[in-house]
Amino acid sequence: MATETKKDTRTAQQAPTVTLTIDGQEVTVPKGTTVLEAALGMGIHVPTFCWHPKLKSVGACRMCYVEIEKMPKLAVSCATEAMDGMVVHTDSDLVKRGRKAVIEFILANHPLDCPTCDKGGECDLQDLTFKHGFDDSRYDFLKMRFTEGAVHTTFDDVRIGPEIILNRNRCILCYKCVRANKEAFGEYDLGAFERGNITEINAAPGREVSNPFSGNLVEICPVGALTNTDWRYKIRVWLTKQARSICPFTSSGTNTLLWKEDHQQKIFRCTSRRNDDIDDGWIADVTRYGWSYVMAEDRLQTPLVKKEGKQVPVSWEEAIDLVARRLTEIDDTKGNVCIGGLINPQLDNESLHAFNKFMRVTIGANNVDHRLDYPMLPAQGDTAYSILSSQPFSIADIDTSDVIVSFGSDMLKEHPNEYLRMRKAYMFRQAKVFTINPYAVKNADIASVDVVYAPGTDEIVVNAICLAAIEEKLVDAGRAAGLKDKIVPNSAAEAAETAGVELDDIKIIARSLADGKQVTFLVGELVARCAEREPIAAAIANLNRLFGLTDKGQVARLARYANSKGAEKLGLTPFPAPEVKAKLERIFGGWPENEALTTDKMLVQMNKEAINAGLVVGANPLLLYPDREFARECLERLDFLVVCDSFETETTAIADVVLPLASWAEYAGDYVNLEGRTQHAEAAIKPRFHSRPALEIIEQLARAMDKPLFESADERRREVAEVLAAQAVLPWPNDYFEVSFDNAAADSEYTIPVFVGDDPHHAGHLTEKSPSLSNFVSEAYVEMSIELAAKLDVKAGDSVRVESEAGKVIVPVKVSDYLDTDAVFLPRNFSSAQVNSLLMRKKRVNRVKITRVAD
Amino acid sequence: MILTEESVKAIKEKVKLYPQRKSAILPALTIAYRQVGHLSDEIYQEISRATRIPYVEIAEAATFYTMFPKAPRGKYLIQVCHNISCALLGADSLIGYLEEKLGIKKGETTPDNLFTLISVECLGSCATAPMMQINNDFYENLTRAKVDEILEELKAKA
Ligand code: SF4
Ligand code: FES
Repeated sequence: MATETKKDTRTAQQAPTVTLTIDGQEVTVPKGTTVLEAALGMGIHVPTFCWHPKLKSVGACRMCYVEIEKMPKLAVSCATEAMDGMVVHTDSDLVKRGRKAVIEFILANHPLDCPTCDKGGECDLQDLTFKHGFDDSRYDFLKMRFTEGAVHTTFDDVRIGPEIILNRNRCILCYKCVRANKEAFGEYDLGAFERGNITEINAAPGREVSNPFSGNLVEICPVGALTNTDWRYKIRVWLTKQARSICPFTSSGTNTLLWKEDHQQKIFRCTSRRNDDIDDGWIADVTRYGWSYVMAEDRLQTPLVKKEGKQVPVSWEEAIDLVARRLTEIDDTKGNVCIGGLINPQLDNESLHAFNKFMRVTIGANNVDHRLDYPMLPAQGDTAYSILSSQPFSIADIDTSDVIVSFGSDMLKEHPNEYLRMRKAYMFRQAKVFTINPYAVKNADIASVDVVYAPGTDEIVVNAICLAAIEEKLVDAGRAAGLKDKIVPNSAAEAAETAGVELDDIKIIARSLADGKQVTFLVGELVARCAEREPIAAAIANLNRLFGLTDKGQVARLARYANSKGAEKLGLTPFPAPEVKAKLERIFGGWPENEALTTDKMLVQMNKEAINAGLVVGANPLLLYPDREFARECLERLDFLVVCDSFETETTAIADVVLPLASWAEYAGDYVNLEGRTQHAEAAIKPRFHSRPALEIIEQLARAMDKPLFESADERRREVAEVLAAQAVLPWPNDYFEVSFDNAAADSEYTIPVFVGDDPHHAGHLTEKSPSLSNFVSEAYVEMSIELAAKLDVKAGDSVRVESEAGKVIVPVKVSDYLDTDAVFLPRNFSSAQVNSLLMRKKRVNRVKITRVAD
Repeated sequence: MILTEESVKAIKEKVKLYPQRKSAILPALTIAYRQVGHLSDEIYQEISRATRIPYVEIAEAATFYTMFPKAPRGKYLIQVCHNISCALLGADSLIGYLEEKLGIKKGETTPDNLFTLISVECLGSCATAPMMQINNDFYENLTRAKVDEILEELKAKA
């Protein structure tokens, strides 16, 4: 049970306070604090069931009784505000009697089936009954039993979601699950039905609880009413230990615990490890259930080497020797610049740094990138996009913002943790939220204005906001001077028309940006992944300058993967920030001279056979790169391809050498979250089979090439720390950018705009190997609005052919409850359908046609 | 669609009356119930679409209020009071008599869909116990003979 309350220091300083006495000790707390929070803050134990630090109090369970002098009855401390001069007793005889009565009342209909209940050992009800309850029971009548829909007749269990089992007999109706679902997650698939004795928690009629945060419900249930299938009945909690870990699937670095058993070298579950600065104790289902890929039996077990056209298992020595020999050969005959390196930004800092050093020193080529899913990356380092991407960002600052804009981001799918923060600001502080996207997204329900613009007009929408501000005189004229001449079109009205949005909505946003005291402006993957990201970033830079947003808040493009920020800060890009580069140059003792190559440029060079060897660590570019055909052509042209991965993938299938990679749970490492915060993840178990951590592989390779990377582990760590300390934030320019726009849409039979992203229950190619996550979604689909489905005459579940100029896939239809234009969404990284084959890297907006497959 | 255009329109009007959309749940359920005679998951669904109130919140409220029937029932809903005053004056035997006469058990509906029989808590007419309510009308100081008469009358009207 949480016993600490963390207060926002910013508000604590300004807010009025009250002073009260609890158990003889005086304490001063901000006005509005509850008696319970005041007591917990002093380290006093007050038992609770229904209270949760991140939800509104409801006073449903009465467990938190305290005695307050001059009050006629015991008071519910979680719903009583602390007042000046209050004298509170948390441990008087009256309180003790009250607690006993509450426990007795709660147990009246509780089955007391602890020996067969999976919560035993970590159950609040069990613990508090021992601590505060009676030793025996006065009840001898039959208890209320819920049996309807039970899948297990002994326990009356019902399955209410892909991963959740509900036992209504054990439920104490604290309503935490329903409240968290609605208040914190904005999800409506769970409810409390009926009344009185037969009140029950259950899935909404005919639905299942499958929202992207559903695992949290299990974690906060104080009893064994909600349990999840990945953990229940596998092991007793007291037999496990915990490793403090970090989420490897999202960029927030939400803090987690991996529950493991050392003798079996097995992980059993993942739960949250509340860190208010980052996650508030909520973790997304990908974070909670993704770990199980680590325990998959089809992991790559040994190195594989292609011999006579077939990959055969070999020893590590043989594989490393071969790679070292071949790389040296290619280096000798064709030159070092003929070797390219791509690495997955989900790997830890030291692996990333070692890879950088390996590529830039051991090989001596400037061919390093970690951005495998962005087409047409900028070919220089000082672009508006690079500046925007380098900006600082703080998760906790979302909480205090009064205006929050998310632009070009499907927040729920890409940044679930920040999505929750946005909801929290809206729910608890009435922040104004605006969403601006080329297709309708799920956070629209909290948005004051939800702008959906025509795909491909991103920068025009931003310009429209700027123009509206100038026209309505919302910004200082001096500040605005010069902007109008640099952007198109001439008026807000014209811009709004081009983008297909309401001018009034644009004006409301402009006014809020101008009036907002603290503004958070978030830019997401829809911008980052767009081939035309540069003009969009330039338009955002202009907006920032016009409204002075960074002076009163934050403007940031959110990093996408667990260590994308780390990869940027460690210089795993062709053009590291100047100070980062200077540091690296010193550490490396120089800098390779060849033209620095981005992912696309490397692929182009492979195609021209100017790059002949490739090193891919932890990534599956064939499934990820937004132009599958192109990526395939290029990679297949290589003379020598080495791929490190935990599983066989399409990319390992065309490799000459495949090296089994250990997962993040199998070694300790540091990761930099999207705020730039470095966090440590402990190892939970030893590397399974013969897999090895990336760092070890890279170091061995360098040694085999007679060029060891580091003298010691200390040196390695020092280098990493030194590079991370360099200033990676690029300054905004002192002038407005030119933003032109060319809207030449060619006529074609492909008319439906397509967006490819991640399903909220999957991240990267690894989570497909998690059985729990596959219970939610196991194959790609095409998600479309009800209207489009009607127009195409297809129903949910129908097989359709989605076809673009580049390729086609056959997937089932999913009818969306939030898409409302003709744009469709397809999730990537499913081996069932290679949706990246629909994409062409040079296209700004990819379009498709959709036809039903005859059955 | 189960709800008529008229009902949907009336429901939408209700939403406008309250600062919080959720406040329109009970009025909306009442409109639906008056039209259909009972409520169901599909109806919650339709109300949700019309009001943009989450489906589950409508289902929660509907199941909380036991006076909303959740399954089709007869033209005449017979609610016999089984609370203390009526019980003392023979409510139990009265219910038994009704079961016998209608050939159904408490909670059931006659095959001709005319009568549904339930027993309920105090209806606030203790002075005239035993009593029952059929649709919107009270029938008081009941005897077996009176019950016969009432049933005949209703059958004739139907
Ligand atoms: S299921 Fe658990 S969390 Fe939900 S109301 Fe019951 S006891 Fe509380
Ligand atoms: S914790 Fe206060 S009433 Fe439940």
